[in-house]
Amino acid sequence: MARTIMIIDDSASIRMVVSIALKKAGYEVIEAVDGGDALEKIKGRKINLIICDVNMPNMDGISFLKMIKQDPDYKFTPVIMLTTESQEAKKQEGRAAGAKAWVVKPFKPEQMLAAVEKLVLP
Amino acid sequence: METDPVLQTFIIESTEKVQEMESALLQLETSPDDEDTVNALFRAAHTIKGSAGVVGIDNIEKFTHTVENVLEKVRLGEIRVSEDLIGLLLRCCDHIGHLLKSLNAGKDPEENPELQTEGQAMAGELSAYLAVEGQGVSPEPDKETTEQGGTPEALTWRISLRFGRDVLRDGMDPISFISYLSKLGEITGLTTLTDAVPPAREMDPESCYLGFEIDFRSDAGRQAIEDVFEFVREDCEINITPLPATAPPRKTAGAEAGKQAQTREPGAKGAGTIRVDTDKLDQLINMVGELVIANANINQQARRIGDNSLLESAFALSRLVEDIRDRAMRVRMVPIGETFNRFRRTVRDFSRSTGKDIRLLISGSETELDKGVIEKIGDPLMHLIRNSADHGIEERDVRLALNKPENGVIHLNAYQETGSIVIEISDDGSGLNREKIVKKAVERGIISPGKELSEREINNLIFEPGFSTAQKVTNVSGRGVGMDVVKRNIEALRGSVEVESREGRGTTVRIRLPLTMAIIDGFMVKAGASFYIIPLDMLDECLEMSDTDKQLSFKRNYFSLRGKVLPFLRLRDIFNEPDGRNRREHMVVIRYAGGKTGLVVDELHGEVQVVIKSLGRVYRDVNGISGATILGDGTVALILDVPGLVRNLEKAAGALSYP
Repeated sequence: MARTIMIIDDSASIRMVVSIALKKAGYEVIEAVDGGDALEKIKGRKINLIICDVNMPNMDGISFLKMIKQDPDYKFTPVIMLTTESQEAKKQEGRAAGAKAWVVKPFKPEQMLAAVEKLVLP
Repeated sequence: METDPVLQTFIIESTEKVQEMESALLQLETSPDDEDTVNALFRAAHTIKGSAGVVGIDNIEKFTHTVENVLEKVRLGEIRVSEDLIGLLLRCCDHIGHLLKSLNAGKDPEENPELQTEGQAMAGELSAYLAVEGQGVSPEPDKETTEQGGTPEALTWRISLRFGRDVLRDGMDPISFISYLSKLGEITGLTTLTDAVPPAREMDPESCYLGFEIDFRSDAGRQAIEDVFEFVREDCEINITPLPATAPPRKTAGAEAGKQAQTREPGAKGAGTIRVDTDKLDQLINMVGELVIANANINQQARRIGDNSLLESAFALSRLVEDIRDRAMRVRMVPIGETFNRFRRTVRDFSRSTGKDIRLLISGSETELDKGVIEKIGDPLMHLIRNSADHGIEERDVRLALNKPENGVIHLNAYQETGSIVIEISDDGSGLNREKIVKKAVERGIISPGKELSEREINNLIFEPGFSTAQKVTNVSGRGVGMDVVKRNIEALRGSVEVESREGRGTTVRIRLPLTMAIIDGFMVKAGASFYIIPLDMLDECLEMSDTDKQLSFKRNYFSLRGKVLPFLRLRDIFNEPDGRNRREHMVVIRYAGGKTGLVVDELHGEVQVVIKSLGRVYRDVNGISGATILGDGTVALILDVPGLVRNLEKAAGALSYP
């Protein structure tokens, strides 16, 4: 019953804030530190939503998004990209790769929750 | 959000990032054009800024933001890396480090004048870089102004949505936006626009062809409604227009709607309602019931005569009657939302008085139920919610010790499922303690010691009369009225209740109620000289019994259904019909409360629509019969009370197994 959300960000404190807020709202949360880690952890799991930072070492958000869009299991999984207002170019690149939901850092936990609730059925 | 672990993580992480920045800067000294190093530098600053913002450390966020702006320009090649710049940035790293240290010591950096001036001086130097090379001072991020012109009173809006073809491929589910919308207000009407759906041959199942027209009543402003669709705005046609309010007409809104009404579909009608006396409605529904009976009669006659054109007319009539029946029933249906919302207060008050932090989640508010059922379901629901709050959700410290979120959640949900309405009350509390239940049941003499019970049977023990495992009696629940009353109330509505529980994870109580109270789809059987109706939604399958089946079964008292034990009842035995064992018999398998039971009957007569006529006062408590109906030809058939029969069977089985 519980919906599972994956948060991918290299910042532990952002993962923690998001994770606490989502868990409070009744979601299950899986954390990953970058795209590669996320691909490892996502295997075989049903994920209802992915929250993904754009700027990460190893595998960045956009490359991860491109990978996930090719996997029939996760093709239709909604993805929220995290970005800062200074990354308009990244945003365009992301949109082209199929990321339509963006949350701008810094955000309040309530803002993140509202974005999640728009994309995940209760 | 400044709980300690988050802050600690932030400090550790940012300290690491500052070190990364330092080493990147030192590397830049030797190779100032190395793109990877610049990127790493930028990313580290970016992470500090982002985390600081999310965790809520404003001064670090602001300062690092300026640093990041400079680095962005370095990355884009607008500022050249110079020794001066590296020096400045290294000092910036020191400053961030100082801020972090003072944060770690629990001091507010705002109160430290030295840090303040240090920061200001550096910010000044940084903006000099921005001013010289770029376009002016670092712009503060333009926070979107969300509150603009939000009128406090509820307005009705018409929202026209045309989702983009790719919306599903982008991971967006149109339904989830509509579901989110319903959190802001009330969806009073929804039309699905299917005109863009191509013929099946040309349809791409991954594309979205649908549009929606939604009438939406809300006190949220236009901006808030637009924000719901922010993620699909760019690929979606969205039109939000105010509708003239039904209650006090607002001139401006009306005029505006007049101007914008040409968007789609003429005649933007507000949700008009009239009040009708319930008596009048009941009369209407009664007449519809009579119509159904008369129609059944016509069908029977037509079939007897066998005239094709007559049969055709009769069939057309049946379809209309069925339609009228459904619509008439729907008139009595009201959404359950209001009943659900009443419990918000209950849960809130309970939280206040006990110190448990409990949140009530409500979904499926728009699910409709017969008005009569809604009136009677309130009390059982109240009892179940109090049970969850009181016995289900643990005390705050217990929850924390178990690594659960400190606030408990009770979820009320309603939805429609093939012919019935399901209401679920779930909590994320401790779940049922099966050992304790069995122990108590033995103490109370409900079961005999040492009896092997399945998980389901144990769960169901809580519905037995005189059962309560609450360790202490609080003033909220456990006042002697137990779950058995809940169960009886629900069965009186021709519903059923079952409980599912995972220890430590929570409990879900699922109530299944019939869609309507007055007319049901039934399956007609005959035993002896009488006709009986089994509610169709409880029917699983029908089997013919061979002679060997019969002989074996009657000896053992159970039937072997494809190798599984199926307890059964003979209708003839229950209703004392004279025995005629040599005749052909049928086994009707019914499903109730997760189990299966067989009913042995003589003849199968197929599906019928019947109008429930309640039995007179004298017969009200007759076991195994819940009502009667009049068939097309005037014969009376009895409607079987399946839960009652199953209960009888369970009792009989119980009596056998414990002497």
